[in-house]
Amino acid sequence: MTFDFAIVLRFKEALLLGLWTTLQLTVICVVLGSLLGFLVGMARSANSPFVRVPARAYVEVFRGTPVIVQLFWFFFCLPLVIGTEIPNIVAGIIALTLYMGAITSETFRASLKSISREQYDACTALGLPHATQVVHVVLPQALLRAAPTLLSNCVSLFKESALLSAVGMADLMFIGQNISNNTARPVEVLTVVALIYFAIAFPLTRVVTRFESRVLAKLSA
Amino acid sequence: MTQSSPAPLLQSDDRLGTQRGAPAAGTAAPLVQVRNLHKGYGPNIRVLKGLSIDMQPGERVVVIGPSGGGKSTLLRVLMGLEQIDEGSIRFAGKPYIEASPAGRRTTIDTVVRRQIGMVFQHYTLFPHLNILNNLILAPCKVHGENKATATARARALLARFGLEAKAEAYPNHLSGGQKQRVAIARALMLDPKLMLFDEVTSALDPELVAEVEQVILQLAQQDMPMVIVTHDMWFAKNIASRVIFCAGGVVVEDGPPEQVLGSPREERTREFIERVFHIR
Ligand SMILES: Nc1ncnc2c1ncn2[C@@H]1O[C@H](COP(=O)(O)OP(=O)(O)O)[C@@H](O)[C@H]1O
Ligand SMILES: [Mg+2]
Repeated sequence: MTFDFAIVLRFKEALLLGLWTTLQLTVICVVLGSLLGFLVGMARSANSPFVRVPARAYVEVFRGTPVIVQLFWFFFCLPLVIGTEIPNIVAGIIALTLYMGAITSETFRASLKSISREQYDACTALGLPHATQVVHVVLPQALLRAAPTLLSNCVSLFKESALLSAVGMADLMFIGQNISNNTARPVEVLTVVALIYFAIAFPLTRVVTRFESRVLAKLSA
Repeated sequence: MTQSSPAPLLQSDDRLGTQRGAPAAGTAAPLVQVRNLHKGYGPNIRVLKGLSIDMQPGERVVVIGPSGGGKSTLLRVLMGLEQIDEGSIRFAGKPYIEASPAGRRTTIDTVVRRQIGMVFQHYTLFPHLNILNNLILAPCKVHGENKATATARARALLARFGLEAKAEAYPNHLSGGQKQRVAIARALMLDPKLMLFDEVTSALDPELVAEVEQVILQLAQQDMPMVIVTHDMWFAKNIASRVIFCAGGVVVEDGPPEQVLGSPREERTREFIERVFHIR
């Protein structure tokens, strides 16, 4: 069997369009999911069990089940439960946002917890009001510390977003599959699709590693 | 560590000695009045067991004692960082900290608390802010000071401590000694009426100890009242106007430095001082 990678070039536009859809969906779910994750991460350390327990349950359920099951649940089951159709884009965004929310909440929770008692003591000794303490001392450090992990959460989401093809979203994976079926050239097409995902994810993971050591050095003082 | 310390900044004990000795009783209200202070961590760890201390304005009290004896706890209570179980503290004649009936939170007057500054054994600079911003954060946010004047004051203070070149640096680019000097400057930005120093040099490499102690001695010359916990006998002798030996949660001995450090009355004090001197 001979491989003809040139054939993939004929579908350049379609693949780029798919990539564009993947990136858009990733960005939307990253933004919504991180906001959700931040709130849930804070809720995890709330004093009231009425806040803490549901937050924990949510995180455990979404971290403890396969993303594709979550996606199918929102696509196939939620419409039956609420009795209305849900467009696949809506089901997809809900599922990936909730997934992103669950994993980033752990990131935020860990970074909030990593701020030492000494930092809080210093704030009290300086008489900083609670709001100042949160806005000027706790949050900047927590966000800085969370940033590298958050970035790798984003890379995970970018890769997981390929699952959206299973509910018919025309993302990079979906278009790749279609081209591969229509041309009967799965090796060439899917290899190129994999390389495109890799070309974006790999540099980002390198950035995470570099960034992480710099952040840790800075915050270690 | 005594050996590695440089010659005293102050040539004779007399220069600081002019401040020594409490004013005659009745001439001034005590700056700090600790009454029957009890403090534990949880129901099983009793740390301070009925401490009563009066500190006069202008005094520099060095607290010595075995580790685990409650020195840090005492300073943390004075700083208003801890709940207490029993007792009360007055500051400059005003009620400051009051134990509440069982199960209730300790009453701490936060306005009074702002007149007290503290430097810790651990580094507590804000790592995400440069030195200048570490210094001006509290003055701007607590006292609403204008940023330009706070910055000018901060630069002057840094210059006084030989740190003007570090104003824009971040804490992770400073040595331990520089960090502690900045921490002192940061506390001074709020014009405290009392400074608390809890073993501020014990995390430092020996060669960095002196530069921090010099800064504190400089403050002493300006009559800043302070409570200092230290294991450095050279420093204790040079800075103290009064020494308290604290062990097992009570004051064992309390007096002028010559007496407590030189010829202690209590056997436990003598033992402790001999042990500390012999290690050095
Ligand atoms: N946050 C805390 N929780 C429980 N125990 C503590 C805490 N802080 C201090 N202790 C205990 O209280 C005792 C006195 O500690 P500390 O005040 O740090 O003594 P010192 O500064 O004289 O070494 C020690 O036995 C210590 O283990
Ligand atoms: Mg201590």
